[in-house]
Amino acid sequence: MSPVLPLLLAIGLGLAGWLVARARAWTFKRAAPHGRIAALPSYHAWYAALWIVVPLVIWFLVWNGIQGQLVLNYVLASPEAQALPEFGLRRDAMLIEARNIANGIDAQVMNDGAYALAEPFRQAQSRYGLIGLAVSVIIGGAGAAWAFLRLTPDFAARTKVERLVLGALLLASLVAILTTFGILVTLVYETILFFGKVSPIDFLFGLQWNPDPMSSGAVDGDRYGAIPLFWGTLFIGAIIAMIVAIPLGMMSAIYLTQYAHPKLRAWVKPALEVLAGVPTVVYGYFAALTIAPFIRDLAVSMGASNASSESALAAGLVMGVMIIPFVSSMADDSIAAVPQAMRDGSLAMGATTNETIRRVLVPAALPGIVGGVMLAISRAIGETMIVVMAASTAANLSANPLESMTTVTVQIVALLTGEGSFDHPATLAAFALGFVLFMVTLALNFIALRVVKRFREAYE
Amino acid sequence: MVMHDTAQSPLAEQAQSNEAAENVEPTAVKMRARDVSVFYGDKQAINGVDIDVYQEFVTAFIGPSGCGKSTFLRALNRMNDTIPSAKVTGTIELDGEDIYSSGMDVVQLRARVGMVFQKPNPFPKSIYENIAYGPKIHGLAEGKGELDAIVEKSLRRAGLWDEVKDRLQDSGTALSGGQQQRLCIARAIAVDPEVILMDEPCSALDPIATAKIEELIDDLRGNYAIVIVTHSMQQAARVSQRTAFFHLGNLVEYGHTSDIFTNPTQQRTQDYITGRYG
Amino acid sequence: MSERVTPTRTAAFEARLKKRYAAERRFKAIGLSAIVFSVAVLLFLLATMTINGIGGFQRAELRLDVDFPQMGLSLPPEELTVIEAQQRLSGQGLREVVQFSAEQTMGAEGAAQLNGEAWRLVAEQIHANPGILQREASFWLPTTEDLASAYAGDGQLELQPLAQDLAERGFLEDNFDVGFLTRADATDPQLVGIWGALKGSMLTMIVTLLLAFPIGVLAALYLEEYAPKNRWTDFIEVSINNLAAVPSIIFGLLGMAVFLTIFPSMRSAPLIGGMTLALMTMPVIVISGRNAIKAVPPSIRDGALAVGASPVQVVFHHVLPLALPGILTGTIIGMARALGETAPLLLIGMRAFVATPPSSFTDNATVLPMQIFLWSDEIDRGFVERTSAAIIVLLIFLLLMNGLAIYLRNRFEKKW
Ligand SMILES: Nc1ncnc2c1ncn2[C@@H]1O[C@H](COP(=O)(O)OP(=O)(O)OP(=O)(O)O)[C@@H](O)[C@H]1O
Ligand SMILES: [Mg+2]
Repeated sequence: MSPVLPLLLAIGLGLAGWLVARARAWTFKRAAPHGRIAALPSYHAWYAALWIVVPLVIWFLVWNGIQGQLVLNYVLASPEAQALPEFGLRRDAMLIEARNIANGIDAQVMNDGAYALAEPFRQAQSRYGLIGLAVSVIIGGAGAAWAFLRLTPDFAARTKVERLVLGALLLASLVAILTTFGILVTLVYETILFFGKVSPIDFLFGLQWNPDPMSSGAVDGDRYGAIPLFWGTLFIGAIIAMIVAIPLGMMSAIYLTQYAHPKLRAWVKPALEVLAGVPTVVYGYFAALTIAPFIRDLAVSMGASNASSESALAAGLVMGVMIIPFVSSMADDSIAAVPQAMRDGSLAMGATTNETIRRVLVPAALPGIVGGVMLAISRAIGETMIVVMAASTAANLSANPLESMTTVTVQIVALLTGEGSFDHPATLAAFALGFVLFMVTLALNFIALRVVKRFREAYE
Repeated sequence: MVMHDTAQSPLAEQAQSNEAAENVEPTAVKMRARDVSVFYGDKQAINGVDIDVYQEFVTAFIGPSGCGKSTFLRALNRMNDTIPSAKVTGTIELDGEDIYSSGMDVVQLRARVGMVFQKPNPFPKSIYENIAYGPKIHGLAEGKGELDAIVEKSLRRAGLWDEVKDRLQDSGTALSGGQQQRLCIARAIAVDPEVILMDEPCSALDPIATAKIEELIDDLRGNYAIVIVTHSMQQAARVSQRTAFFHLGNLVEYGHTSDIFTNPTQQRTQDYITGRYG
Repeated sequence: MSERVTPTRTAAFEARLKKRYAAERRFKAIGLSAIVFSVAVLLFLLATMTINGIGGFQRAELRLDVDFPQMGLSLPPEELTVIEAQQRLSGQGLREVVQFSAEQTMGAEGAAQLNGEAWRLVAEQIHANPGILQREASFWLPTTEDLASAYAGDGQLELQPLAQDLAERGFLEDNFDVGFLTRADATDPQLVGIWGALKGSMLTMIVTLLLAFPIGVLAALYLEEYAPKNRWTDFIEVSINNLAAVPSIIFGLLGMAVFLTIFPSMRSAPLIGGMTLALMTMPVIVISGRNAIKAVPPSIRDGALAVGASPVQVVFHHVLPLALPGILTGTIIGMARALGETAPLLLIGMRAFVATPPSSFTDNATVLPMQIFLWSDEIDRGFVERTSAAIIVLLIFLLLMNGLAIYLRNRFEKKW
């Protein structure tokens, strides 16, 4: 059953139900004394349509799930299936090929046996397709019948429809919880699997990071020490990037809000927004193509022989530039939230503008600014593309910004885009790293959002 | 010209008793405004005002809401400079020196002409730091001891010392509204200004706190020229020696407080103080 | 009375004042330079991309003159597809014809630098216009990557004289390459295009929009209008706020572990990519949606309730239409972010080499930023320019989207 046909069926039946129910409600309305019935005709229409479409959609989802298995069972029970090999890749490949032939998809066919199986596949599919269609029609009809039996002039269709709408709203907002929950369960599950193979102590405190996705047999816990990754992440994201972003972002915000002519502000603010909208892959390309070689050459010309072309400095600098608009807009908002009376009070004492800014405005805005910086750090350490493109994959525990370093996100990408199998500790390690990253950013965001909120409320 | 009712209203009595207790003639003119107009963009908020503010006197500005009292007050220490659209014409002199001339420094001007706002606006710092702020930025104290002395003196003069001496490190925003306003006055006098401008300093306070501030204003009068904007005619009558009545951006009448309240020369003043509008 | 000398009128005060003003000027200068620096970086980035990228919209092409009547090629009159025409012409020796004609005009060395796929382009043109088989025709055809880089001034040094010679004789020039916008990925930078990735991006964005927009708006309505104030609501709020700030790569991990387990055959399909990005975009839409809904004044709700509308009617007839511009602004911004996103898609496998543009939501596909990432890994010089050109295309899309969002915000920003 291709997904188009049932969808058309659902829409068609629903539309028909909608129209008929509305027409019927109008006849109720005309017949009723004073032309009043309990609900508007359109609510009758929606009530009927929902009773038809919702059960149908649920049925399609269920049927889609089980139909494949039913077809397969039918095929396996057919006499042609006796020729199939017992287990293994060839068996699976033949089944897939047979299905492709049956569906008229001309993909490569390596196993001639597949042709024989195509016929049972065709039979099974048309058979279950028909069954599915028949049940669909029955369900649609039943839903329609149910709805129409209940639609009478004094039926409160509106309350029913509205209750459903409210249910849908609630469901939509549960998606957020489901996502959070999904992330947590996934990460925790894989992390536990990982800790079954590598001890958490080795992972969290080990100094050597050198996983081998191709290895088999015994797991060497010494290869999974994540300290160099944590250090690289902090060094690039929370130190180098922040050294660039905090002063530049803060000073930009201060200049724009306190000194700049409105015309300059009208131009620079959107420019900064553009800077914030540039995708990180572009920054990454910029870092790898322009900044990293430049820094390497500069370092070499100044006598640093071991300067790497994948230096932490290059990645950190570009990441800092990426974060500038973010810091600037957070600082801008925080300073703007300080009441004008503070500024006036200070200026009226004879303070100069910069004294007012440094001694009154910034201290008053500090909680907001600190919250903003925490969000910025959380962003920087979770940033992936810049470091994937400009930083290295070699773990290196060093404080020299000219050396290459790697980060948590780089390793997640490296481990998961490699060739390792799904239950290899190297693959699982990526999820454990993801878990650490998630928890750290979660904590940062959580605290930062609270601090910012409290700060905003203080001046409201 | 309309003659005022000879029967003395309590307001007028108060104004007279207040003035009678003081020297009637001013010693010197501290600030002199001549033909001052203030514009917000194209809109004129003050129209050709002439006024003298006297040393050791309290001058009250009264008038209906929106008549330009705050605008004119802010012109006196150039706080209007912070509003991009505001423009001032005419001359305002402080000790004979034009405060809008290029030779006048705004920072120094504002240090000499302090200001207290309608809503108490202590900085979100400790009480101590609030008072020490002015002396620190202007470099008026050498060392911690001197600074402590200034803080104590200012708080004492503002009548707040006994209430806060044990919690100088608490946040200034944790004080009650009346205490906050006295803190702001203490903050203003900590830099030892010559003129203090107050824009409705009691409008956010209860009667008891108001009474304290009024007492304070009376105490301070000996050292400063004080200008106070108020909506309370009783307050103007109680604390001031000179009163200026503004209406629609014009200075309608300016003179002895007792005269304004007993014997106004203008119909509009008469109407206002008898509560016919405002 | 004697003139009182206040401390603010002393000479010492004035001396300090000079220093304070100097500090003021310094501070202001630092602020200005921070802005100048930030804007300069933006300009430098855009300039680098533009200068590199302009070359990416061009390619080095050789002029080929063919005297068709001499060659005895023919196409049957019936309707053929391009592929069929290519096969027939190839069977009749089109490749040799192209090679021969090239050698005739440019010499063997030059002919060797004609791109191996050049004959296909000739066949395409014959297919489009069979009439040219009756006359002499001239084509501009891509060179090999080697000659292209030699012509650009680097690459193999020994090819540079040849490039110079061919250029002088009018056989070699850089031409605007329309095909860059209509082709898909390839291994030869002379033959790559971004249409495949662009189409993948569009399909992915459609899925994202169809999922994130309704869910986001409904959730925003629920939280702002109906949610009771209790722990559950708090929990939903905290979840959404945190999801909006969770690193995008985490969504990739989720997509990989959940979506790819449920649909193992759809690695690299726009459907899965779109679903993953929808999870990421939905919180952004919820947050901006809530702000827009919050901005609708209560008086409008009261007014509608007062004439007897039900709470659902109030929201769908009055609140939602008024909040819609704000919601749309947030949606566009969220979609722009999703359009530029790479990291989560990297994990769910949308990094395949896709040489034919995807035609459905379940085909193998890649997206524009991913194409940029993939090309940036190539060492060929030709790819550097192509990458920058692709970046320009991506930035144009993002600029348009953000511009639209800013326009909407300004146009509909109402002060109630
Ligand atoms: N920043 C400004 N921009 C434009 N117009 C202003 C500004 N501030 C005040 N005005 C206008 O100038 C006029 C005088 O305002 P001002 O605040 O001086 O009145 P006021 O007498 O202090 O009133 P109130 O007693 O209510 O405080 C009013 O019409 C007001 O609308
Ligand atoms: Mg006022």
